[in-house]
Amino acid sequence: MDPSEVEFLAEKEFVKIIPNFSLDKIYLIGGDLGPFNPGLSADVPVWLALNLKQRQKCRILPPEWMDVEKLEEMRELERKEDAFTPAPSPYYMELTKLLLNHASDNIPKADEIRTLVKDIWDTRVAKLRLSADSFIRQQEAHAQLDNLTLMEINTIREFLLGSLNCMYKLRSNLQPGATKGQFGDY
Amino acid sequence: MVKVVEVSDSSQQKTLRGHEAPVLSVTFDPKDEYLASSSCDGSVVVWNIEDQTRVTSWPLLQKTNDVSNAASLCRLAFQPAAGKLLAVPVETRVHLYERGSWDQVGSLSDELLTQPVNVAAWSPCGRFLAAGAVGGLLTIWDVNSRLVVERQKHEKGFTVCSLAWHPSGSQIAYTDTEGCLGLLDGLGTSGTGSTTAPAAKPAKGYDDLFDEDDDRLMDEGLSDANSPVKKAAVAEDEDDDDFLIASTGRVRNRGAILDDENSLDTGSLKLGQDKFGEDDDDDAGSSVAPAAAAAAPLRPVYDGPVPTPPQKAFQPGSTPAHLTHRFMMWNSVGIVRGYNDEQDNAIDVEFHDTAVHHAMHLTNSLGHTMADLSQEAVLLACPSTDDLASKLQCLHFSSWDTNKEWMVDLPQGEDVKALCLGQGWAAVATSALLLRLFSVGGVQREICSLPGPVVCMAGHGEQLLVVYHRATGFDGEQALGVQLLQFGRRKRQLMSGEPLPLSPKSYLCWAGFTAEGTACYVDSNGLVRMLNRALGNTWTPVCNTRETCKSKSDHYWVVGAHENPQQLRCIPCKGSRYPPTLPRPAVAILPFKLPLCQTSTEKGQMEEQYWRSVLFHNHFSFLSSSGYEVDEAAQTQSDKEQQELLMKMFALSCKLEREFRCVELAELMTQNVVTLAIRYASRSRRMNLAQRLNEIALEKSTQLQEDEEPEEEPEFSSDRRTSGYRQTEPYNTRQNDEQQEEDEEECEEEEDGREMETEETKRRLNPFAKESGLPAKPSLTPVGRVGRSNPFKVADSGKPTSSSGQARVSNILDNMRSSRKLAPLSGSAGKPSKGPVLKPLAPRTKAKAQSTLLQISSNKTANKKTLEAAEPAADLQKQPDTAAPPAENTENKRPKTGFQLWLDENRKIIIADNPDLDETDVIKEAMGRFRTLSADERLLWTERAKGQSGETADVKKRKRAENEAVESDESNARKKMSSLDPSSKLSAFAFSKN
Repeated sequence: MDPSEVEFLAEKEFVKIIPNFSLDKIYLIGGDLGPFNPGLSADVPVWLALNLKQRQKCRILPPEWMDVEKLEEMRELERKEDAFTPAPSPYYMELTKLLLNHASDNIPKADEIRTLVKDIWDTRVAKLRLSADSFIRQQEAHAQLDNLTLMEINTIREFLLGSLNCMYKLRSNLQPGATKGQFGDY
Repeated sequence: MVKVVEVSDSSQQKTLRGHEAPVLSVTFDPKDEYLASSSCDGSVVVWNIEDQTRVTSWPLLQKTNDVSNAASLCRLAFQPAAGKLLAVPVETRVHLYERGSWDQVGSLSDELLTQPVNVAAWSPCGRFLAAGAVGGLLTIWDVNSRLVVERQKHEKGFTVCSLAWHPSGSQIAYTDTEGCLGLLDGLGTSGTGSTTAPAAKPAKGYDDLFDEDDDRLMDEGLSDANSPVKKAAVAEDEDDDDFLIASTGRVRNRGAILDDENSLDTGSLKLGQDKFGEDDDDDAGSSVAPAAAAAAPLRPVYDGPVPTPPQKAFQPGSTPAHLTHRFMMWNSVGIVRGYNDEQDNAIDVEFHDTAVHHAMHLTNSLGHTMADLSQEAVLLACPSTDDLASKLQCLHFSSWDTNKEWMVDLPQGEDVKALCLGQGWAAVATSALLLRLFSVGGVQREICSLPGPVVCMAGHGEQLLVVYHRATGFDGEQALGVQLLQFGRRKRQLMSGEPLPLSPKSYLCWAGFTAEGTACYVDSNGLVRMLNRALGNTWTPVCNTRETCKSKSDHYWVVGAHENPQQLRCIPCKGSRYPPTLPRPAVAILPFKLPLCQTSTEKGQMEEQYWRSVLFHNHFSFLSSSGYEVDEAAQTQSDKEQQELLMKMFALSCKLEREFRCVELAELMTQNVVTLAIRYASRSRRMNLAQRLNEIALEKSTQLQEDEEPEEEPEFSSDRRTSGYRQTEPYNTRQNDEQQEEDEEECEEEEDGREMETEETKRRLNPFAKESGLPAKPSLTPVGRVGRSNPFKVADSGKPTSSSGQARVSNILDNMRSSRKLAPLSGSAGKPSKGPVLKPLAPRTKAKAQSTLLQISSNKTANKKTLEAAEPAADLQKQPDTAAPPAENTENKRPKTGFQLWLDENRKIIIADNPDLDETDVIKEAMGRFRTLSADERLLWTERAKGQSGETADVKKRKRAENEAVESDESNARKKMSSLDPSSKLSAFAFSKN
């Protein structure tokens, strides 16, 4: 999967916005949205929030976890634990990127949050690499990793599957392939 | 264990061991020879520092296991300089021990000291000893004379936990356990041992005064020696002088406080006042008399009611004016923010809905402190300064000309205290107790006097709410009054100065209107009250915002309220009463909830929902009465909701065997819902209840009738109507058009009724006709015409009216008495066990005979097909039939009714059968019709009395309501029924079309 596809999926997450227009309920395939009252928060999918934001029709309220203190806590926890801790949101990376890129003026301490989320991401991806490494090294048949987000799985899928395939080929070539070769030679 | 450490280099450490529990307090001897400590083990010990030995020990205190449990902190103190005396607070006294011998040489006490002394502190001169006690009493003794020189009460009664003398000896700083720091000023104690009344001179540069005072006091005090009696006399004399001084002092003090609100805590201690209001500045104003009275030593303290400082005028939706960044207004239109710091003095106006206007940034050169915002304009006002009058500025941004701003100067000496904007007008309340009205374009309009100093104002549409001080409140209460004025076409006063109810010891926090125009307000206890127009303009508490707060210090800052949907819009504030401007607060929504009892139970919940729904839909009638458009859909929706709730409550109390309660509930219902309730009651075999409900239904119908035709007697009118119906029926037959307009019917009926009145027989017939007619009405859906014609034809045409009428009359009479019998008959088919119960059922049969509704189609079609099934029911009915009237009609009808009833009881079977049958649709229709018939019958029955043709118009609505109600019923009684209902209705409609 392309990261942009994952991001697309993340855009279905709901965020709160404070619209500055008033509109009745709108009926979409994905569900009914609104009604929108100026000054009152409403839940909308991220894609709509960003669209409205770009048209200066709303303010986006950052999700609850997008808070410096909470993220710091999570970062510490993530660093302390060997296993993966539950991510702040299944789409934390995508949402952070989307919201901070388009609505950083509505999010207090946007830069700190960006750094924190990047830290968490790095820690988690490092763990992922480590576990992949040990997985391969110990030639395990299966492994279980909890609390991974889609984006994280996606980053390693391509590489891991590819390399596993490669290794499988290499390993299987050692014996049958070699014999085949021998047969061919003969 | 006490450790002594050399501070400079911590080289020397000495340890004093001996205390068996935590140490409460330690103090050094000024000569550094001794150290005294008190401990939770109850002992007070003097140590020799050098030897690290215990010099002496007194078991003075109560033993406790921890510092937090100790009754007193027992802060000891050595007399300064020579350190001759050691003061030890013990219970309510302070013991004095002599250095060296460590004998108790005296004890200081005061009769007003009733709680343990916490702290003792010597004055720098060593002559006076101050003690702070639990409960906030500060006492100062002259040690030589052992007499009280001064006593003060902490105004909030917090426990004093530390004391410190100013080196000059004229002031004492103290702290209390709630974290406040206070300064006790003006101690007239620096002189000799005079014990005359110490003038409590609060705060601010009294040194000069002191000196003079003290000198004088000294003279007199010296001459008087120490005889208490004489002293008292002197004190009396002195008192007058002191009073003067004190009072002047008060005045000054008050001025000072008014100038500087932040200094409130200094000088907040006042002589001899037990109770203080919450606001310090009020105390200053109000305490003159009591202070003077208390100036004499040992005089009883005034502890009567103390006037509350009147709360200051404010703008609802604004944060306090002393903040540099504040909200000047936050309402449903937008936000006005004020900035007043070094770089900037500006006002930002921002609209929630940018379609109203774009955001504005104004420089606040005039120093506006008040603002209001509406869809049309921004209104700003500033108080007067020395050389500038108070100004009112209006930015009328919705004006269509190019001049969008106007400004008005108020007369000299008149300050704007509150302002608000309505639709097309602006109102300003001033310090001259005037209410000035302006048009939004700047034309001066009405002016009137206010009954008291304004607290706040709010405007909405054509309504103006003014809250003012009605009188002086006592003991923390505010005495507010409220006026509600209405402008527009007819100007009037809706509320003329009624007292505004507030929670105990609270003040007003917010006042305004809901988006629908109902006044409401919030007090400092977080209670939201809303005007209840249906109850004589009383105030109903609708929400307690504090209930949803997590901690004691959290508050909700209300910015608006909506009745439909029921929303209280407010901003949650952590640890404060109002929000900061940054970060930008988010609006939260609180639900309303009436504080009814036992809302945790199902009954309480439904009651709460019902009354809340009633309260929050009052505005419909108000709006329509004042000529606004009303959202009909929402109104019917709310009516439906209320009736559903009533029905649920009815069912609940039925379950609980509370039949009286059921009847009470039925009285709140509308008539058609009552018929439903009757059905429910009869189905749950509560004949007694059903009968009573019938009476209620009758009453309601007669009421309705009376409303429409007050002259006629209900019964007669009903008869006539019924007769009318009868006659109408032929009419109907003529017009076989399915869709007769209700109006026509009514007219016909009335006419018929008049004609019929003369003929008794016809009358008699009428009741019968009624019954038949009634069902016809409910059936209104034109479907029934055919059916009608048939039954009527049978009755009318087949038999001369007189004969049939007589027969019917007998029946009718029977109905009146034994209508129950009939009902049971018809009902019996449905519910054999309930003989007498269902009057409505009885009308049904007749109604059916007359073929009112769907019956004809449904009954006939369905009945014929289902005749077999119906027959047993018919058999059951036959017995009653003998008594019953016209054979043809009754027969036809009875089987039908029997069938219906039978269906009711044996639905499951039928339903099971239905799928098998080809004519499932027909059967369903039949069933649906049965239901409708039953409802109709009830209607008919109730209407029998009424005989109102007018109701026909309502029939459709009724049907809907009934169906809904039925659905609700179904939940209780029959789920299957409910599922069938819609189909039946649909089928009915289809039929009508045919």
